[in-house]
Amino acid sequence: MTIDLDEILEDTVLLQCRVNGRRTEAEILPATSLLDFLRNEQRMTGTHMGCMSGHCGACTVLIEGRTAKACVTLAASVQRKDIVTIEGVGGSDGALSPVQQAFWDETGFQCGYCAPGMVLTVVEMLNENSAPTDAEIRRAIAGNLCRCTGYQSVVRAARAAAAVKRELGDG
Amino acid sequence: MSRRILYARPRDLDEASQLVGALDTGTMLVAGGQELMPHINYGRLAPSVLVDISGIGELAGISIDADEVSIGALTVHADLNSDRTVRRRLPLLAEAAAQVGGGRQVRNRGTIGGNIVAMHPLYDIVPTLLALDAFVETCDADGVRRIRLAELIQTPGHGLGATAILSRVIVAPQSESGGWAYEKLKISDGAYGTANAAALVTLDNSERINAIKVVIGAVAELPLDASNLVQASIGEAWNERTAEFVERTCAEAVTEPLSDEQGEAAYRRAMAGVVARRAVAAAQRRARA
Repeated sequence: MTIDLDEILEDTVLLQCRVNGRRTEAEILPATSLLDFLRNEQRMTGTHMGCMSGHCGACTVLIEGRTAKACVTLAASVQRKDIVTIEGVGGSDGALSPVQQAFWDETGFQCGYCAPGMVLTVVEMLNENSAPTDAEIRRAIAGNLCRCTGYQSVVRAARAAAAVKRELGDG
Repeated sequence: MSRRILYARPRDLDEASQLVGALDTGTMLVAGGQELMPHINYGRLAPSVLVDISGIGELAGISIDADEVSIGALTVHADLNSDRTVRRRLPLLAEAAAQVGGGRQVRNRGTIGGNIVAMHPLYDIVPTLLALDAFVETCDADGVRRIRLAELIQTPGHGLGATAILSRVIVAPQSESGGWAYEKLKISDGAYGTANAAALVTLDNSERINAIKVVIGAVAELPLDASNLVQASIGEAWNERTAEFVERTCAEAVTEPLSDEQGEAAYRRAMAGVVARRAVAAAQRRARA
Protein backbone atom coordinates (compact mmCIF):
# COMPACT_ATOMS: atom_id res chain seq x y z
CA MET A 1 0.00 0.00 0.00
CA THR A 2 1.30 3.46 -0.83
CA ILE A 3 -0.08 6.47 0.83
CA ASP A 4 -1.16 9.69 -0.86
CA LEU A 5 0.36 12.39 1.33
CA ASP A 6 -1.37 15.19 -0.55
CA GLU A 7 -4.69 13.65 0.24
CA ILE A 8 -4.10 12.94 3.90
CA LEU A 9 -2.16 16.06 5.03
CA GLU A 10 -4.15 19.19 5.79
CA ASP A 11 -3.15 22.86 6.20
CA THR A 12 -6.15 23.61 8.36
CA VAL A 13 -8.63 21.53 10.29
CA LEU A 14 -12.38 21.80 10.01
CA LEU A 15 -13.35 21.42 13.65
CA GLN A 16 -16.92 20.47 14.39
CA CYS A 17 -17.90 20.13 18.02
CA ARG A 18 -20.52 21.17 20.52
CA VAL A 19 -19.75 23.99 22.95
CA ASN A 20 -22.21 24.39 25.83
CA GLY A 21 -24.80 22.47 23.87
CA ARG A 22 -24.46 24.57 20.73
CA ARG A 23 -23.12 23.00 17.55
CA THR A 24 -20.14 24.91 16.22
CA GLU A 25 -17.86 24.64 13.23
CA ALA A 26 -14.59 26.45 12.53
CA GLU A 27 -11.57 26.25 10.30
CA ILE A 28 -8.52 26.27 12.59
CA LEU A 29 -4.73 25.99 12.32
CA PRO A 30 -3.57 22.47 13.28
CA ALA A 31 -1.55 23.41 16.39
CA THR A 32 -4.33 25.52 17.93
CA SER A 33 -5.01 24.66 21.55
CA LEU A 34 -8.57 24.16 22.74
CA LEU A 35 -8.03 27.24 24.94
CA ASP A 36 -7.18 29.48 21.98
CA PHE A 37 -10.09 28.02 20.02
CA LEU A 38 -12.51 28.88 22.83
CA ARG A 39 -11.13 32.33 23.58
CA ASN A 40 -10.12 33.57 20.13
CA GLU A 41 -12.44 31.74 17.73
CA GLN A 42 -15.51 31.34 19.92
CA ARG A 43 -14.94 34.61 21.80
CA MET A 44 -15.72 32.86 25.07
CA THR A 45 -13.28 34.33 27.55
CA GLY A 46 -14.57 32.68 30.71
CA THR A 47 -11.97 29.95 30.26
CA HIS A 48 -8.86 31.65 31.60
CA MET A 49 -5.33 31.47 30.29
CA GLY A 50 -2.76 30.96 33.02
CA CYS A 51 0.39 29.02 32.35
CA MET A 52 -0.09 27.39 28.92
CA SER A 53 1.84 24.40 30.29
CA GLY A 54 -0.87 22.37 32.03
CA HIS A 55 0.09 23.30 35.57
CA CYS A 56 -2.37 25.91 36.84
CA GLY A 57 -5.81 24.62 35.84
CA ALA A 58 -7.32 28.07 35.16
CA CYS A 59 -8.35 26.80 31.71
CA THR A 60 -10.21 23.72 32.99
CA VAL A 61 -13.20 22.72 30.85
CA LEU A 62 -15.27 19.53 30.54
CA ILE A 63 -14.79 17.32 27.48
CA GLU A 64 -17.52 14.68 27.34
CA GLY A 65 -18.13 15.39 31.02
CA ARG A 66 -14.53 14.97 32.12
CA THR A 67 -12.23 17.79 33.18
CA ALA A 68 -9.35 18.74 30.92
CA LYS A 69 -6.87 21.59 30.78
CA ALA A 70 -7.79 23.38 27.55
CA CYS A 71 -4.30 24.86 27.08
CA VAL A 72 -2.74 21.41 26.67
CA THR A 73 -5.56 19.93 24.63
CA LEU A 74 -5.17 20.06 20.86
CA ALA A 75 -8.38 21.63 19.57
CA ALA A 76 -8.37 19.32 16.55
CA SER A 77 -8.59 16.32 18.86
CA VAL A 78 -12.01 17.33 20.25
CA GLN A 79 -13.59 16.64 16.87
CA ARG A 80 -17.33 15.88 17.40
CA LYS A 81 -16.96 16.08 21.18
CA ASP A 82 -19.12 17.86 23.74
CA ILE A 83 -17.37 20.75 25.50
CA VAL A 84 -18.67 22.58 28.56
CA THR A 85 -17.04 25.85 29.65
CA ILE A 86 -17.86 28.08 32.62
CA GLU A 87 -20.32 29.92 30.36
CA GLY A 88 -22.34 26.72 30.12
CA VAL A 89 -22.45 25.82 33.82
CA GLY A 90 -25.23 28.15 34.97
CA GLY A 91 -28.82 28.36 33.78
CA SER A 92 -29.64 29.96 30.44
CA ASP A 93 -31.36 32.79 32.38
CA GLY A 94 -28.02 33.71 33.96
CA ALA A 95 -28.82 31.98 37.25
CA LEU A 96 -25.82 30.49 39.06
CA SER A 97 -25.54 26.72 39.33
CA PRO A 98 -25.41 25.24 42.85
CA VAL A 99 -21.61 24.95 42.65
CA GLN A 100 -21.24 28.56 41.49
CA GLN A 101 -23.64 29.73 44.20
CA ALA A 102 -21.61 27.88 46.84
CA PHE A 103 -18.40 29.58 45.63
CA TRP A 104 -20.22 32.92 45.83
CA ASP A 105 -21.63 32.27 49.31
CA GLU A 106 -18.37 30.94 50.77
CA THR A 107 -16.08 33.44 48.97
CA GLY A 108 -14.42 30.54 47.20
CA PHE A 109 -12.29 32.99 45.24
CA GLN A 110 -10.75 36.42 45.66
CA CYS A 111 -9.29 37.73 42.41
CA GLY A 112 -11.35 35.22 40.46
CA TYR A 113 -8.69 34.09 38.04
CA CYS A 114 -8.77 30.43 39.10
CA ALA A 115 -12.53 30.39 39.76
CA PRO A 116 -13.84 29.05 36.42
CA GLY A 117 -11.42 26.15 36.55
CA MET A 118 -12.10 25.46 40.21
CA VAL A 119 -15.86 25.40 39.58
CA LEU A 120 -15.58 22.91 36.72
CA THR A 121 -13.25 20.68 38.72
CA VAL A 122 -15.69 20.65 41.62
CA VAL A 123 -18.55 19.91 39.20
CA GLU A 124 -16.74 16.79 38.00
CA MET A 125 -15.75 15.73 41.51
CA LEU A 126 -19.36 15.97 42.74
CA ASN A 127 -20.60 13.98 39.77
CA GLU A 128 -18.38 11.14 40.98
CA ASN A 129 -18.71 11.63 44.72
CA SER A 130 -21.44 13.71 46.32
CA ALA A 131 -20.09 13.23 49.86
CA PRO A 132 -16.38 14.03 49.61
CA THR A 133 -14.19 14.36 52.69
CA ASP A 134 -11.96 17.43 52.97
CA ALA A 135 -9.01 15.27 51.98
CA GLU A 136 -10.87 14.12 48.86
CA ILE A 137 -11.75 17.72 48.00
CA ARG A 138 -8.11 18.78 48.38
CA ARG A 139 -6.99 15.90 46.20
CA ALA A 140 -9.64 16.74 43.59
CA ILE A 141 -8.46 20.36 43.26
CA ALA A 142 -4.75 19.45 43.21
CA GLY A 143 -4.55 20.43 39.54
CA ASN A 144 -5.99 23.91 40.14
CA LEU A 145 -3.70 26.57 41.57
CA CYS A 146 -5.05 29.52 43.56
CA ARG A 147 -2.70 32.28 44.68
CA CYS A 148 -5.23 34.20 46.83
CA THR A 149 -7.33 32.08 49.12
CA GLY A 150 -4.90 29.56 50.56
CA TYR A 151 -7.59 27.06 49.42
CA GLN A 152 -9.51 27.15 52.73
CA SER A 153 -12.52 28.93 51.26
CA VAL A 154 -12.35 26.80 48.11
CA VAL A 155 -12.62 23.67 50.23
CA ARG A 156 -15.51 25.27 52.18
CA ALA A 157 -17.27 26.12 48.93
CA ALA A 158 -16.84 22.57 47.61
CA ARG A 159 -18.18 21.19 50.90
CA ALA A 160 -21.19 23.51 50.72
CA ALA A 161 -21.82 22.60 47.09
CA ALA A 162 -21.75 18.91 48.02
CA ALA A 163 -24.34 19.50 50.75
CA VAL A 164 -26.65 21.32 48.33
CA LYS A 165 -26.21 18.63 45.73
CA ARG A 166 -27.08 15.89 48.24
CA GLU A 167 -30.16 17.84 49.32
CA LEU A 168 -31.30 18.29 45.74
CA GLY A 169 -30.56 14.64 45.05
CA ASP A 170 -32.53 13.51 48.11
CA GLY A 171 -35.41 15.89 47.61
CA MET B 1 4.31 29.76 15.39
CA SER B 2 4.47 31.25 11.94
CA ARG B 3 5.94 28.11 10.42
CA ARG B 4 3.37 26.03 8.64
CA ILE B 5 2.30 22.92 10.51
CA LEU B 6 0.40 20.21 8.68
CA TYR B 7 -2.13 17.88 10.25
CA ALA B 8 -3.30 14.32 9.64
CA ARG B 9 -5.82 12.17 11.44
CA PRO B 10 -5.25 8.61 10.20
CA ARG B 11 -8.22 6.24 10.31
CA ASP B 12 -6.40 3.18 11.60
CA LEU B 13 -3.04 1.93 12.82
CA ASP B 14 -2.01 0.70 9.39
CA GLU B 15 -2.63 4.08 7.80
CA ALA B 16 -0.88 5.81 10.72
CA SER B 17 2.26 3.67 10.42
CA GLN B 18 2.38 4.05 6.62
CA LEU B 19 2.03 7.77 7.07
CA VAL B 20 4.71 8.11 9.74
CA GLY B 21 7.02 5.94 7.64
CA ALA B 22 6.53 8.15 4.58
CA LEU B 23 7.05 11.49 6.35
CA ASP B 24 10.29 13.27 7.19
CA THR B 25 11.61 13.84 10.64
CA GLY B 26 9.76 16.63 12.37
CA THR B 27 6.60 14.55 12.39
CA MET B 28 5.12 14.27 15.86
CA LEU B 29 2.38 12.04 17.17
CA VAL B 30 -0.25 13.56 19.41
CA ALA B 31 -2.90 11.78 21.49
CA GLY B 32 -3.79 13.34 24.86
CA GLY B 33 -1.53 16.32 24.24
CA GLN B 34 -0.36 16.59 27.86
CA GLU B 35 3.30 16.16 26.98
CA LEU B 36 3.47 17.74 23.54
CA MET B 37 1.22 20.77 23.86
CA PRO B 38 3.30 22.67 26.46
CA HIS B 39 6.31 22.33 24.16
CA ILE B 40 4.30 23.61 21.19
CA ASN B 41 2.77 26.46 23.22
CA TYR B 42 6.21 27.62 24.32
CA GLY B 43 7.82 27.15 20.90
CA ARG B 44 10.26 24.55 22.21
CA LEU B 45 9.10 22.05 19.61
CA ALA B 46 7.96 22.97 16.13
CA PRO B 47 6.60 19.90 14.38
CA SER B 48 6.31 19.94 10.61
CA VAL B 49 3.39 17.51 10.78
CA LEU B 50 1.07 16.65 13.66
CA VAL B 51 -0.27 13.13 13.37
CA ASP B 52 -3.34 12.89 15.58
CA ILE B 53 -3.68 9.27 16.70
CA SER B 54 -6.37 9.98 19.30
CA GLY B 55 -9.12 8.43 17.19
CA ILE B 56 -7.49 5.09 16.36
CA GLY B 57 -9.54 2.23 17.76
CA GLU B 58 -6.71 -0.33 17.79
CA LEU B 59 -4.84 1.85 20.28
CA ALA B 60 -7.74 1.91 22.74
CA GLY B 61 -9.25 -0.46 25.27
CA ILE B 62 -8.06 -2.98 27.84
CA SER B 63 -8.40 -6.71 27.34
CA ILE B 64 -7.28 -9.82 29.16
CA ASP B 65 -6.67 -13.39 28.10
CA ALA B 66 -5.23 -16.32 30.02
CA ASP B 67 -1.84 -14.92 30.85
CA GLU B 68 -1.68 -11.29 29.84
CA VAL B 69 -3.39 -7.95 30.09
CA SER B 70 -3.25 -5.85 26.92
CA ILE B 71 -3.62 -2.10 27.47
CA GLY B 72 -4.14 0.24 24.52
CA ALA B 73 -1.61 3.09 24.32
CA LEU B 74 -4.46 5.64 24.39
CA THR B 75 -5.72 4.46 27.79
CA VAL B 76 -5.79 7.49 30.09
CA HIS B 77 -4.54 7.35 33.68
CA ALA B 78 -8.02 7.82 35.17
CA ASP B 79 -9.30 4.79 33.23
CA LEU B 80 -6.22 2.77 34.13
CA ASN B 81 -7.07 3.46 37.75
CA SER B 82 -10.79 2.67 37.50
CA ASP B 83 -10.74 -0.27 35.07
CA ARG B 84 -11.91 -3.48 36.79
CA THR B 85 -9.36 -5.72 35.09
CA VAL B 86 -6.44 -3.46 35.93
CA ARG B 87 -7.58 -2.98 39.53
CA ARG B 88 -7.93 -6.72 40.06
CA ARG B 89 -5.02 -8.09 38.04
CA LEU B 90 -2.53 -5.19 38.11
CA PRO B 91 -3.31 -3.24 41.30
CA LEU B 92 0.23 -1.81 41.35
CA LEU B 93 -0.35 -0.16 37.98
CA ALA B 94 -3.81 1.09 39.01
CA GLU B 95 -2.24 2.72 42.08
CA ALA B 96 0.63 4.32 40.13
CA ALA B 97 -1.88 5.77 37.64
CA ALA B 98 -3.76 7.40 40.52
CA GLN B 99 -0.53 9.04 41.67
CA VAL B 100 0.21 10.77 38.35
CA GLY B 101 0.61 14.49 39.12
CA GLY B 102 -0.94 17.55 37.53
CA GLY B 103 -4.40 16.88 38.90
CA ARG B 104 -7.43 14.94 37.71
CA GLN B 105 -7.50 16.93 34.46
CA VAL B 106 -4.14 15.48 33.49
CA ARG B 107 -5.19 11.97 34.55
CA ASN B 108 -8.29 12.38 32.33
CA ARG B 109 -6.22 13.21 29.24
CA GLY B 110 -2.72 11.82 29.72
CA THR B 111 -2.22 8.37 28.19
CA ILE B 112 -0.12 5.39 29.22
CA GLY B 113 1.61 5.49 25.82
CA GLY B 114 2.43 9.17 26.12
CA ASN B 115 3.71 8.70 29.66
CA ILE B 116 6.14 6.05 28.41
CA VAL B 117 7.44 7.77 25.28
CA ALA B 118 7.82 11.10 27.09
CA MET B 119 10.77 9.46 28.91
CA HIS B 120 10.41 12.08 31.62
CA PRO B 121 12.56 11.06 34.60
CA LEU B 122 9.92 12.22 37.12
CA TYR B 123 6.95 10.29 35.69
CA ASP B 124 5.24 7.38 37.42
CA ILE B 125 4.31 4.74 34.91
CA VAL B 126 7.66 3.42 33.66
CA PRO B 127 9.13 2.41 37.06
CA THR B 128 5.91 0.52 37.75
CA LEU B 129 5.88 -1.20 34.37
CA LEU B 130 9.52 -2.20 34.81
CA ALA B 131 8.70 -3.78 38.17
CA LEU B 132 5.90 -5.67 36.38
CA ASP B 133 8.31 -6.76 33.63
CA ALA B 134 6.04 -5.28 30.96
CA PHE B 135 6.33 -5.53 27.20
CA VAL B 136 5.24 -3.02 24.61
CA GLU B 137 3.92 -3.59 21.12
CA THR B 138 5.11 -1.19 18.49
CA CYS B 139 3.93 -0.83 14.95
CA ASP B 140 5.71 0.50 11.87
CA ALA B 141 5.31 0.02 8.14
CA ASP B 142 6.78 -3.50 8.47
CA GLY B 143 4.24 -4.59 11.04
CA VAL B 144 3.89 -5.15 14.76
CA ARG B 145 6.65 -6.27 17.08
CA ARG B 146 6.84 -6.90 20.78
CA ILE B 147 9.74 -5.64 22.90
CA ARG B 148 10.54 -5.89 26.59
CA LEU B 149 10.08 -2.37 27.99
CA ALA B 150 13.41 -2.61 29.84
CA GLU B 151 15.16 -3.00 26.46
CA LEU B 152 13.44 0.04 25.03
CA ILE B 153 14.58 2.48 27.68
CA GLN B 154 18.30 1.93 27.95
CA THR B 155 19.03 5.56 27.05
CA PRO B 156 17.22 8.82 27.91
CA GLY B 157 15.59 8.89 24.45
CA HIS B 158 13.02 6.12 24.02
CA GLY B 159 14.32 3.42 21.69
CA LEU B 160 11.31 3.38 19.39
CA GLY B 161 12.92 5.18 16.48
CA ALA B 162 11.24 7.85 14.38
CA THR B 163 8.83 5.61 12.47
CA ALA B 164 7.32 3.27 15.07
CA ILE B 165 4.12 3.85 17.02
CA LEU B 166 3.76 2.41 20.51
CA SER B 167 0.42 0.63 20.19
CA ARG B 168 -0.15 -1.49 23.31
CA VAL B 169 1.35 -2.31 26.68
CA ILE B 170 1.37 -5.99 27.60
CA VAL B 171 1.64 -7.08 31.23
CA ALA B 172 1.28 -10.46 32.92
CA PRO B 173 -1.15 -10.29 35.88
CA GLN B 174 0.41 -9.91 39.31
CA SER B 175 0.66 -12.97 41.52
CA GLU B 176 -2.54 -13.36 43.58
CA SER B 177 -0.65 -13.99 46.80
CA GLY B 178 2.12 -11.45 46.20
CA GLY B 179 2.19 -8.01 47.76
CA TRP B 180 2.70 -4.74 45.90
CA ALA B 181 3.14 -1.06 46.63
CA TYR B 182 3.86 2.22 44.90
CA GLU B 183 5.39 4.90 47.10
CA LYS B 184 5.75 8.43 45.81
CA LEU B 185 7.27 11.26 47.76
CA LYS B 186 5.95 14.64 46.63
CA ILE B 187 5.49 18.06 48.17
CA SER B 188 1.83 18.35 47.16
CA ASP B 189 -0.74 16.16 45.47
CA GLY B 190 -0.36 17.86 42.10
CA ALA B 191 3.43 18.06 42.18
CA TYR B 192 6.12 16.07 40.45
CA GLY B 193 7.65 13.31 42.52
CA THR B 194 10.86 13.79 44.47
CA ALA B 195 11.38 10.04 44.49
CA ASN B 196 9.18 7.03 43.76
CA ALA B 197 9.44 3.29 44.11
CA ALA B 198 7.41 0.34 42.86
CA ALA B 199 7.79 -2.92 44.77
CA LEU B 200 6.55 -6.51 44.48
CA VAL B 201 7.16 -9.05 47.22
CA THR B 202 6.17 -12.68 47.72
CA LEU B 203 6.57 -14.49 51.04
CA ASP B 204 7.25 -18.16 51.78
CA ASN B 205 5.32 -20.33 54.27
CA SER B 206 7.26 -18.96 57.21
CA GLU B 207 6.64 -15.34 56.12
CA ARG B 208 10.15 -14.82 54.86
CA ILE B 209 10.84 -12.98 51.63
CA ASN B 210 10.66 -15.38 48.72
CA ALA B 211 10.96 -12.96 45.81
CA ILE B 212 11.45 -9.22 45.68
CA LYS B 213 11.40 -6.57 42.96
CA VAL B 214 11.97 -2.89 43.50
CA VAL B 215 12.33 -0.18 40.87
CA ILE B 216 13.17 3.40 41.83
CA GLY B 217 12.12 6.44 39.81
CA ALA B 218 12.41 10.24 39.80
CA VAL B 219 15.92 10.25 41.29
CA ALA B 220 18.05 9.72 38.19
CA GLU B 221 17.71 10.26 34.47
CA LEU B 222 16.51 6.68 33.99
CA PRO B 223 14.51 4.47 36.37
CA LEU B 224 16.71 2.16 38.36
CA ASP B 225 15.83 -1.51 38.74
CA ALA B 226 17.38 -2.39 42.10
CA SER B 227 15.84 -5.89 42.24
CA ASN B 228 19.16 -7.69 41.74
CA LEU B 229 20.85 -5.61 44.41
CA VAL B 230 18.37 -6.56 47.13
CA GLN B 231 18.32 -10.31 46.48
CA ALA B 232 20.25 -10.84 49.74
CA SER B 233 16.96 -10.12 51.55
CA ILE B 234 15.53 -13.39 50.20
CA GLY B 235 15.08 -15.86 53.03
CA GLU B 236 14.91 -13.02 55.56
CA ALA B 237 11.92 -11.89 57.58
CA TRP B 238 10.93 -8.25 57.25
CA ASN B 239 12.45 -6.53 60.27
CA GLU B 240 14.49 -3.44 61.02
CA ARG B 241 17.69 -5.06 59.75
CA THR B 242 16.14 -6.07 56.40
CA ALA B 243 14.50 -2.68 56.05
CA GLU B 244 17.80 -0.90 56.65
CA PHE B 245 19.52 -3.17 54.14
CA VAL B 246 16.93 -2.29 51.47
CA GLU B 247 17.12 1.43 52.24
CA ARG B 248 20.92 1.57 52.21
CA THR B 249 21.30 -0.60 49.12
CA CYS B 250 18.76 1.39 47.11
CA ALA B 251 20.22 4.76 48.10
CA GLU B 252 23.73 3.59 47.21
CA ALA B 253 22.46 2.32 43.86
CA VAL B 254 21.76 5.92 42.79
CA THR B 255 25.20 6.84 41.51
CA GLU B 256 24.15 9.86 39.44
CA PRO B 257 21.25 11.48 41.28
CA LEU B 258 19.18 14.28 39.74
CA SER B 259 19.44 17.71 41.30
CA ASP B 260 16.52 19.97 40.41
CA GLU B 261 13.48 21.80 41.83
CA GLN B 262 12.39 18.52 43.45
CA GLY B 263 15.50 18.44 45.61
CA GLU B 264 19.26 18.39 45.45
CA ALA B 265 21.37 15.34 44.72
CA ALA B 266 22.20 14.17 48.24
CA TYR B 267 18.57 14.49 49.31
CA ARG B 268 17.28 12.62 46.26
CA ARG B 269 19.71 9.81 46.90
CA ALA B 270 18.62 9.54 50.52
CA MET B 271 14.94 9.65 49.54
CA ALA B 272 15.46 6.89 46.96
CA GLY B 273 16.32 4.65 49.89
CA VAL B 274 13.37 5.88 51.93
CA VAL B 275 10.71 5.31 49.26
CA ALA B 276 12.22 1.90 48.41
CA ARG B 277 12.07 0.86 52.06
CA ARG B 278 8.48 2.12 52.42
CA ALA B 279 7.40 0.39 49.21
CA VAL B 280 8.91 -2.96 50.18
CA ALA B 281 7.46 -2.64 53.70
CA ALA B 282 3.98 -1.98 52.33
CA ALA B 283 4.31 -4.74 49.71
CA GLN B 284 5.30 -7.39 52.25
CA ARG B 285 2.37 -6.35 54.48
CA ARG B 286 0.03 -7.02 51.56
CA ALA B 287 1.65 -10.36 50.68
CA ARG B 288 0.06 -13.60 51.87
CA ALA B 289 2.35 -16.33 53.12
